[in-house]
Amino acid sequence: MSEFFFKFKNLHWTLIFLICSLSSVGIIMIFSATKSDGLGFTYSQILKFLFGFFIMLSVGLININFWQKYSFIFYLVGVIILIYATFYGYIGKGSRRWINVLGINIQPSEIMKIFLILALAKFFDEKKIDNFRDYLFLVFPITLIFIPFFIVLNQPDLGTSLILLFIGTVVFFIVGINIKFFFSCLAGFFLLSPIFWNSLHLYQKQRLLTFFDPYKDPLGTGYHIIQSQIAIGSGGFLGKGWLKGTQSHLDFLPEKKTDFIFSMLGEEFGFLGTISVIGLFILICCVGYIISIANEKIFFSKIIGVAIITNFFIAGALNMAMVMGLTPVVGIPLPLVSFGGSSMITYFFGFGLILSTDLSQKLYREDNLNLTNLSFFR
Amino acid sequence: MSKEFDDLKKFQRRLFLLGLGKGLFTTLLVGKLYYLQIVNKSKFGELSEINRIKIKVIYPQRGIIFDQNKNKIAENRNDYQIILLKDKKDQMNKIVTDLRKIILISEEDVKDFKKNSSRNSLDDYLTIKKNLSWDELEIFSHFSHRFPLLDINKKKVRSYKDNYAYSHVIGYVGYDSQKKSKKRQLPELKVGKTGIEKIYNKVLIGKEGWQKVESNSSGKVVRNLNSKNSISGNNIEVNIDSKIQEFSFDKLRDKAGSIILMNCNSGAIIAMVSSPSFDINEFSYGVKNSTWRSLQSDPLNPLLNRTISGLYSPGSTFKLVVGMAILERKDFDIKHKYFCSGKQPLGNHTFHCWKRKGHGYVDLNKAIKESCDCYFYSLANTLGINELASVAKNFSIGMKTNIDLPGESKGIMPDENWKKRNKGDSWHLGETYNAVIGQGFTLSTPLQIATMTARIATGKKIIPRILSDKKKIEFEQLNFPKKSFEIIKKSMFDVVNKYNGTAFSSKLKNNAIQMAGKTGTSQVRRISLLERESGVLENKELPYKLRDHSIFTGFAPYEKPEYVISVIVEHHGSGSKVAAPMARDILDFTFKKKS
Repeated sequence: MSEFFFKFKNLHWTLIFLICSLSSVGIIMIFSATKSDGLGFTYSQILKFLFGFFIMLSVGLININFWQKYSFIFYLVGVIILIYATFYGYIGKGSRRWINVLGINIQPSEIMKIFLILALAKFFDEKKIDNFRDYLFLVFPITLIFIPFFIVLNQPDLGTSLILLFIGTVVFFIVGINIKFFFSCLAGFFLLSPIFWNSLHLYQKQRLLTFFDPYKDPLGTGYHIIQSQIAIGSGGFLGKGWLKGTQSHLDFLPEKKTDFIFSMLGEEFGFLGTISVIGLFILICCVGYIISIANEKIFFSKIIGVAIITNFFIAGALNMAMVMGLTPVVGIPLPLVSFGGSSMITYFFGFGLILSTDLSQKLYREDNLNLTNLSFFR
Repeated sequence: MSKEFDDLKKFQRRLFLLGLGKGLFTTLLVGKLYYLQIVNKSKFGELSEINRIKIKVIYPQRGIIFDQNKNKIAENRNDYQIILLKDKKDQMNKIVTDLRKIILISEEDVKDFKKNSSRNSLDDYLTIKKNLSWDELEIFSHFSHRFPLLDINKKKVRSYKDNYAYSHVIGYVGYDSQKKSKKRQLPELKVGKTGIEKIYNKVLIGKEGWQKVESNSSGKVVRNLNSKNSISGNNIEVNIDSKIQEFSFDKLRDKAGSIILMNCNSGAIIAMVSSPSFDINEFSYGVKNSTWRSLQSDPLNPLLNRTISGLYSPGSTFKLVVGMAILERKDFDIKHKYFCSGKQPLGNHTFHCWKRKGHGYVDLNKAIKESCDCYFYSLANTLGINELASVAKNFSIGMKTNIDLPGESKGIMPDENWKKRNKGDSWHLGETYNAVIGQGFTLSTPLQIATMTARIATGKKIIPRILSDKKKIEFEQLNFPKKSFEIIKKSMFDVVNKYNGTAFSSKLKNNAIQMAGKTGTSQVRRISLLERESGVLENKELPYKLRDHSIFTGFAPYEKPEYVISVIVEHHGSGSKVAAPMARDILDFTFKKKS
């Protein structure tokens, strides 16, 4: 029991504090966004937060070797669920991507991101580094990326599939694959882009086109972006005040509790609020980086640390860029802030893994220093 | 170990590059946020206010028009309208399709909506349907939950006491249709188009107000913000007596013509009727295109206010002016008698008197009383047309009377210059022969004839007036000897009250009061030619068309003139037969009412 408390005490509480802070911003904003519908959504979000928090701590307390050992199994299970969801899941927001487990709606493509990271990390950890320039050898990890990518693309969920592709590329990048490889991939992408474009659904094409000129069709697809920019811009430096955003409370802002929650934050808390939230994101990323760099023991830990943090960062940054009109509307929620269970639990699961790598490192170091003589599952 | 160390270094280098990428992305985000929230705060703040705040214009209530006895002759009624938020105008087609399942929406309603929706208006709401009946209002209220974007608006619109009797003098209201309407801010504001409504529009119109509301994205009003009440237009009182006006209109029913009853001392217009008329309440509802077209193509031209815009030869009534002119001559002998044989040759043309057999010996008095044409032909030899014209202008023939109504015609009082300018020819004596009996080029409005009579009756330069000012106006004295007026007035008295007078049969039934007057007959062909617009020429009934216009103008009581009456009935023969009895009836009615 004292072993448990010791581990508990040595969890990275700074990171946990930052994560909780960001989550509370989400709860505060969801309260405002759903005020007219009662407290149901807020309670639901609090419950999801508590559940996610529990998962994060549990995962954090499990030794990292456990996750490394079963990485491919998780990956396989993930793909099977994904296929199941694609064929038997039910439709939400225009795509077949949800499954129902014990009355809870789950979007398997979210969890798949973590499983992909685990599988890739395990692969690159175990292969010897001098093989990295061998392109043929890369066929396996590329396959690992493209299986979930195509399944998710066919759901169809463009945003998540692109993030899967991006995460895979990031892992490739940090493990030290030759830069030439990325350039040839980029060239290949441009050659294949017409085919890719044709495989897109009409609404996805429209979203991409709208991005280039939102004011062309102000009441059609561009309407969301314009209203979102108005909401953010009208917030000014200090914002209109909590619960006082007119754009959001008068329903000019669409999807205000999910995809466009950042716009509402911008309207009600102004530049100060948006900068603070970006600050929290940056702090969480920095802490994650520090943990990752400090990890001397296993390459696996380093890879998953950086990949998970990058996944978290890029989702946040893309969401913000989307609501400000910098990128097309692709339907990515703001991590930990937007209403929604699957993505939240995924992020908590990811942070749990980072906590686990951190804890393993601390214990490893103490083992080496022979200060204690604790045994944990190894 | 060194290989591993190398790889670690490579890992950290790649991590650094990744971090750099993230840093750049973050900078971009912060930059965009700065641009949106700090640089363009006011622009987006304004846009969010425009989103949020909608303005509903409160149209003012037009001032009420009272007659001289404080009866409302033009007031306002409630009109219920269905309105739609302007931002939602692209959903119009669907809404109209749905609305048509429960109430009638005409094509004209849709057309008006489209016209208004493209205009730059102060109002954030557009009207879909006006003039909702009680039934329609009830049906719509019942189904209103199906039309979350629509709202009911209550507006005040014009309503008139009588559909027809006042149409020309009051006029009607309509949308401002001038070219500048592209800029116009109040598409539903009605302005006076004709008559009193037009000339006193500024007094009657009032000032609009507004209501600011906060509405959500679907156009539903969340709460009312501040508002400014509209200011109703000022009420006005006119000199018209509604009883007499309606009685007079009744006299002209099924006839074309006009009646003017005026207080000859103040110029106050007590009754002003033009027939045929049109339904002004229909105009207030918004006249249908088909109705408008049929009114415009009607040969009798019901839209024309004959009293001030209809042009007629004054006929024998003009002899009063000729009488005034000849009395100016110092060498004129009032006792001088001229022999009327029934015709008067001039060159190779013969001018006829209306009485074929002739009047025998006539002096001025008899010439007016019996309306002898030959006597006046003889005066034409001495009186020049220029002299005649300058006298006529004193009696407002060929001059605007300056009544407070829009669209008054000037008429024509010809002289030598006029002939040269308009016909490119010099004046001939034969044309003076025509002029002295009120035919030929001379054209006057019924109001000019009434004004002429008022000026003869009082010797003052009376100006007719619609609006009741309550203050007594002193009119200037006309520069003619008092005796001249007495001579002419005596002759007019004889016309009605002496045996052989042309209007002897039209003595007032009230024996205590005596009327003086002059009959006239206006030759149709001239009028027809010059008044093409009225379409008289196209009238299918040829005999009707060829009949003369019947004119009578007079005043009463003779001793102390109070009222002037002028009646013109188109195509009803000589003045003595139709117009004079009508004038008698109206005066009888007036005196009975006043006593």
